[in-house]
Amino acid sequence: MFNTKKIILVAGITAVFAGLSACNEKLTSNVTPIMDGEYASNYVEIIKANDGKYLDSKVIEAILGKGATHGRDGLQGKLDPKNPYSFEVDDSIDGGNHGNSQCKVPMAFTRVQDSAAKNYKNDATFVAKGFGTPIAEAALEKWNITVDGDGKGLPDSSVGMTVEEGGAVYVQFCAMCHGEFGEGAKGYLALAVDEDLIASDPKDPAPMKSVGNYWPYSATLFDYIRRTMPFWTPNADYIGDKGYLGITGYIMQANYIPIGFDEDGESMELEDDTFYNAEVLMKQNKFMKNQGNFFCDHRPIIHNERCMKDCPDTMVGDGSGDIHNFVEARKLPDGTPQYNVPQRLNEAPPGVGHTGM
Amino acid sequence: MTDKIIEKVAIQTDESRNQSRRAFLKGGAAVASGVLFTQAASASDIKFNPKKAVAPYANKKEITDVLADQKSRKALGFGVRKYPYGLPSPFEREVQRRTLEWLTPDSMASITMSPLQSLHGIITPNGLHFERFHGGVPTIDPDKHRLVIHGLVERPLIFTMDDLKRFPSVSRIHFVECPANGALEWKGVQLNSVQWTHGMMSCVEYTGVRLSDLLKEAGIKPEGKWIIPEGADASGMSRSIPLELAMDDCFVAYAQNGEALRREQGYPIRLVVPGCEANMWVKYLRRIMVHDVPMQHREETSKYTELMPDGTAQRFSWYMEANSVITYPSPDFHMQGPGKYYVRGIAWSGRGKVDHVDVSTDGGKNWQEAHFTSAVLDKAWTRFEFEWDWDGKEAFLMSRVTDETGYVQPPMPQMRNLEGTNNVYHRTAMVTWRIHDWNNGKDGGRIQNVQY
Ligand code: HEC
Repeated sequence: MFNTKKIILVAGITAVFAGLSACNEKLTSNVTPIMDGEYASNYVEIIKANDGKYLDSKVIEAILGKGATHGRDGLQGKLDPKNPYSFEVDDSIDGGNHGNSQCKVPMAFTRVQDSAAKNYKNDATFVAKGFGTPIAEAALEKWNITVDGDGKGLPDSSVGMTVEEGGAVYVQFCAMCHGEFGEGAKGYLALAVDEDLIASDPKDPAPMKSVGNYWPYSATLFDYIRRTMPFWTPNADYIGDKGYLGITGYIMQANYIPIGFDEDGESMELEDDTFYNAEVLMKQNKFMKNQGNFFCDHRPIIHNERCMKDCPDTMVGDGSGDIHNFVEARKLPDGTPQYNVPQRLNEAPPGVGHTGM
Repeated sequence: MTDKIIEKVAIQTDESRNQSRRAFLKGGAAVASGVLFTQAASASDIKFNPKKAVAPYANKKEITDVLADQKSRKALGFGVRKYPYGLPSPFEREVQRRTLEWLTPDSMASITMSPLQSLHGIITPNGLHFERFHGGVPTIDPDKHRLVIHGLVERPLIFTMDDLKRFPSVSRIHFVECPANGALEWKGVQLNSVQWTHGMMSCVEYTGVRLSDLLKEAGIKPEGKWIIPEGADASGMSRSIPLELAMDDCFVAYAQNGEALRREQGYPIRLVVPGCEANMWVKYLRRIMVHDVPMQHREETSKYTELMPDGTAQRFSWYMEANSVITYPSPDFHMQGPGKYYVRGIAWSGRGKVDHVDVSTDGGKNWQEAHFTSAVLDKAWTRFEFEWDWDGKEAFLMSRVTDETGYVQPPMPQMRNLEGTNNVYHRTAMVTWRIHDWNNGKDGGRIQNVQY
């Protein structure tokens, strides 16, 4: 999981941080970092001594060691789950090849942690006010439609229908917006595309993301469509858990998500007559193609100096010091800017535009 | 008769203009003397020359034209309670939220942007608050609305609106920003207005109940590590929020800028998650489930995750990074010729207060610190201003915020190098307004959105 992440960071980093000159803002801290292997173990103290400036490049340097802030190694080091700045923690719960990955608020965000401790963990004085009415969990049955990433909350495995039956329900209630095979329709989202997630040129349209090529958990699909679809009449009784499971199966089939691998390592696909239930859904949770490619936000990975005068070329204009090398909005064939194209081509009513276009 | 009056007014206007300059130079002595017009004029060594006085208007007849029309002042205006709920002047009708129809196929799952170019200070009026719906706007009867807290809690509780309002209240000003704010600009620039580049956000005063108070009332079990707020709208909007974040400074708001929330913003209640992505601020809040693991719901997997150039994606990007933008002059305006400008804008950070805002007029080579003209509040817009003498030459205006965590807003090439252009969300790098060379006004004082 970390490997893929390293590649992108490394690619960008050398260009970006090369040539950063030091500015004169000083660390106010006189706390000596206790370097303990990869980073200073007293990092919380260092951050607090610096007014909570946990993202200041100097503070980070004090914690992660010299060179760690701006170099490749520093950023690679930051992907370590033990690192105080990393949002990544152990993938804990079983549910797929990477589990139901948990992200958390880093310990280095001392203000959040302190405030949470004050309001909760260390709040010994709290006395319940007694407002609100106790309610039995069972009374919430109708409202509780949540299914988690591990599949908790799914209907029991007697509920379901065959993929083929599911397809029929889908065609009736979903296809008009999402296309018969999930290819999308009338501008509504496609549910099955097999696009590569890497665009070859940065100017190319961003890759389309859908269930097969992007979604990390299959349980999400059932939760979402039962919760939200069909768009005009969501969580519909006339579809019911049975129907929603069938539809889920149909969409999974359209995305070629395997249900397992046979002895020769060949993937086993859903058949039309597969009885689609929670069990099959959770089996497939392990084979979502893109599951291993998500990582917890570990922003910011940018730690700039606040440069005031004659800033280095990397920080000026186009990133090489040229302030005249900019892009403008693209032009229509007649030379006018491409703003409001539908309006200009009379495909859309006017009125969305504004002065100056 | 009328002519005489006009003349007099013209004279007075100009006189007062001259006068105020003198008063300024004299350090306010003339003001202290009381009767401004007459006294000061007679005290002047320069004899007032009406011909000269109107000279500045010579080519701009329209400026003095209005003096011929006294009617609007004499006409009787409308009485009280014509508008039991007041509306802006009809002359402000251009100040609207706007959308781009090509963004989404359906207005019930769409977005509008706030007209930041026309806003002042740090508060967004309720009617101009940006909108983002995933399943349209429900009209909910507050008497029938309930909030339930359940899951890994000691005592599941159900609250009425009256129950919620009995709790101690908090009022705080916070910005609320869709993580897709700025998304139109990943692939380059598209549109010439700060409404389009940064309008997927607003900043209002919320009043409500601390979420920590409500959660403690129900009592979190030790295994409870996440909360999953859910809306009563058609989309059943849901996100997973870690307990530390929920216990920090979140609250359940029932009021916005002193009145009940608007339906577009979640009437009767919404979650406020200061500094974080607006989709976590679940509207029409009706259920908070306490759980041991995150849900991995659609809005935190399929959407609101950020595709990187190598095909991996960041998830759970809760906090909005520090950001800033110049709202005047910006592409909606025209430069009025070389001279002094008070460059204004807003800065904000999801991680706390804004520490500094710097302005560059040369594409990022040199920076000067702006000063703040509003209160500097935690996770709220901060208004900055910077005095600039424009020499009429082409200039590249940028603003750069530093927040209290020491984070310095990056330029766009740096962010693009790291995150590519397929990300969609969290495009928080600087933008650049190109001020075209004045060129004797031939270009109309054009201000253009460009990108490095
Ligand atoms: C009226 C048109 C319409 C119909 C009918 C409809 N949908 Fe949707 N669907 C939408 C819209 C609009 C969205 C995007 C909603 C949003 O962005 O919040 C969507 C989103 C989705 C998504 C999420 C896609 C993604 O990549 O995040 C899935 C899955 C989905 N619909 C499945 C279904 C299923 C299954 C049905 C039938 C039960 C259905 N839809 C019926 C309009 C429709």
